[in-house]
Amino acid sequence: MSLPQVDICIIGSGAGGAPMALELGRAGFKVVVLEKGPHYRPQDFVHDEILNSRRNFFMPLPWEEPHLVRKGAKGKYERSTAAWTANCVGGGTVHMSGFFYRLKPVDFRLRSTLGAVPGSTIADWPISYEELAPFYDKAEQELGVSGQAVAHPFAEPRSGPYPLPPLDVHPVAGEIDNACKVMGWHSLPTARGIISRPYKGRAPCAYCALCGSYGCEMGAKSGTNASLIPAAVATGNVQLRPGCMARTVEVDKKGRARSVIYVDTDGVTQEQPAKVIVVSCTAVESARLLLNSTSSRFASGLANGSGLVGKNLIFSSFGESQATFRMSKQAEKRPWLKDPGPFVNRSIQDFYLMPDERFGFRKGGTLGFMWTHPNPIHAATGLAGSGASAVFGKALKDRMRAYRDSRILQFEVYGEFLPTPGSYVGVEGSVKDKYGIPVAAITVERHPTDLVATRFLVERGEEVLLRLEPDELKRTSTSGETTILQHGTCRFGDDAATSVLDRNCRAHEVPNLYVVDGSFMPTGGSVPSTLTIAANSFRVASHLVRALKQGVASGG
Amino acid sequence: MHPDAAKRRALGYARAPMPRARPPRQRLSRRSFIRRLTFLGGGVVLLGPLACKRSSEEAPKPAVDPGPLGTAPGGQRTHTFSSFELAVVAAAAERILPRDEDPGALDADVPVYIDRILQTPEMQPMRDDFLEGLAALERRSQRMFQKGFSAITPAEQDELLTLFKDSPPRSGEAHFLELLTVLTLEGFLGDPSYGGNKGKVGWRLMGFDAVGTIAMAPPEGYDGPKCLRECGVHK
Repeated sequence: MSLPQVDICIIGSGAGGAPMALELGRAGFKVVVLEKGPHYRPQDFVHDEILNSRRNFFMPLPWEEPHLVRKGAKGKYERSTAAWTANCVGGGTVHMSGFFYRLKPVDFRLRSTLGAVPGSTIADWPISYEELAPFYDKAEQELGVSGQAVAHPFAEPRSGPYPLPPLDVHPVAGEIDNACKVMGWHSLPTARGIISRPYKGRAPCAYCALCGSYGCEMGAKSGTNASLIPAAVATGNVQLRPGCMARTVEVDKKGRARSVIYVDTDGVTQEQPAKVIVVSCTAVESARLLLNSTSSRFASGLANGSGLVGKNLIFSSFGESQATFRMSKQAEKRPWLKDPGPFVNRSIQDFYLMPDERFGFRKGGTLGFMWTHPNPIHAATGLAGSGASAVFGKALKDRMRAYRDSRILQFEVYGEFLPTPGSYVGVEGSVKDKYGIPVAAITVERHPTDLVATRFLVERGEEVLLRLEPDELKRTSTSGETTILQHGTCRFGDDAATSVLDRNCRAHEVPNLYVVDGSFMPTGGSVPSTLTIAANSFRVASHLVRALKQGVASGG
Repeated sequence: MHPDAAKRRALGYARAPMPRARPPRQRLSRRSFIRRLTFLGGGVVLLGPLACKRSSEEAPKPAVDPGPLGTAPGGQRTHTFSSFELAVVAAAAERILPRDEDPGALDADVPVYIDRILQTPEMQPMRDDFLEGLAALERRSQRMFQKGFSAITPAEQDELLTLFKDSPPRSGEAHFLELLTVLTLEGFLGDPSYGGNKGKVGWRLMGFDAVGTIAMAPPEGYDGPKCLRECGVHK
């Protein structure tokens, strides 16, 4: 049975969905937000590694809701938990680390600035940094971002300081600053979506060290669950429905989006009609939803007449090295290693573009420095290793004791992940999730240029770590991908033949359908994209509010 | 007498004569799993190796609890393992983390943790895999040493576990060893409310939640298993 029609139905409550809910609610429109996961409260966020990080508190179980993942079209699909973000109100912003970088002007003009890349489908964005900048300001202000802007060669223009001063950092940050100075590089304070002072009724960070992969019981982490969603609900115009899994978006005879069919928290199928439907379920899951929404009008999936839905999938290129300092050996030289401060918050962007053409394509990326995550089970399973090289018994315990004597500094690379014809999302009709919905099938074929650039960045990061004279340096990865950062599957553009969405993230083929998660991004940039997704969603909301008031988007 | 054998006896892991009857399981099957492609700081590595191939039609059913099957030395009733199986689990976990100058798996009540965590309804695939692997370990011990796993010497136990570890990457044997390692570490280093990490001995060994280190543990009185049971049914 169909529910009463609302103005807007938004699917997803994360970085993309929440800004839309807030702005449309503020403008007086009746909004329903469907969220597949539960609505956790601050008291549900406990420092319990088993609950948070090793079970289905955030991520679905691979036998209940798998993603199929393969390397290349000739690879064999494996069931995986990869490419899920948290399933709960707030989505991935709940368990994020909150590295709130902005993209840089060059990211909007990658192809025209650096040229085409054989084997990649990179495209310029239809909008410029200058068009998005006011909405970066707004997103930073609404969510709460702590940081300090400093001048450097690739610094993006800003209209003013961050809303909040930077978080306190561990003394090791000063050593990184010095090492960078010697090399002529710039050690940048990393902006964080974590509030350093009381802000908008929220309590500041308690420096507990468990940000990434945990929810914040203080509400200091600027997930949409702690910031935008409560504000949206407070408008009185936004109804949040957790535990509701969207199956399809239905269309009417004219090919306009009509309603969302979803399974509610009691397992009952419901239909929510709306004048405008906004999809924001992550780049992978939004593509899946559209591809599963078939009709006589859209036989290969909603808004997919171009065949581009799910194509041009982009993650973030990942590399990492770890420097271990043995406390017992370093006690005299660096007594401050014992300082419990959890934040390092230093980044290097001197190689955001490569110094020359040596690798063919001049896009580099960002290095972010941090302590390794303190989760002990995660650390110990890493120490145990896997396969034939794994250890157990005394060897394992010796490693655990050595770990107790260590502080481990690492960097992560956020590198460009070039879109290729070989990286895409489809649906696999033969494999269904626990709701009976065909699951997303992900094929990844990396562009070789990414891997070369990521290795280059790892080597630069290691130069910094080595200057700190650690007791050990270990390279963890030069060829990974960060699948929680996902983009591209409904890219936006001015040409309906080469893009799914227009510059306002409205589907070219369906005038009242919007997609506002990372799907719109034709290139992913070389920083975590959370803030960009939120900023863009504020931009789209501003457009949509105007259009609705003029009676355009809803067809009047 | 080997000191470890004495300890086992002192800790009271009795050896029952026969495993309790179970419905026949398929032989250890090839498992397909994929390492998570990404980071997320804290390692949202869901169950490590457990992204198993499984038909979606075969939805996990809640465990039918026939009542306690056995009793752990601490008096805890077990619901996944019989007393016999518990002795094998205890012997195997203690080889993963043997007591030396620091506490080992048994000191932390790791077998109690494994017994309890495998009762989580969603964990049925893992429970089945673990019990299959345990039976395979016992069979192999009988074949190689003409004795059950908990009766052979620690050196023989290590030999057998190493054989499992070095089995082909996707074999059932390698899968079981990885499961055993992961569950032992969870029981050693997880929140004590799950039944393991008794006296927080695991956290002390790793330097987690000790004075001057970096992260805060859950408050006293926290009930992890209750939250785990209720997770996903918040309304």
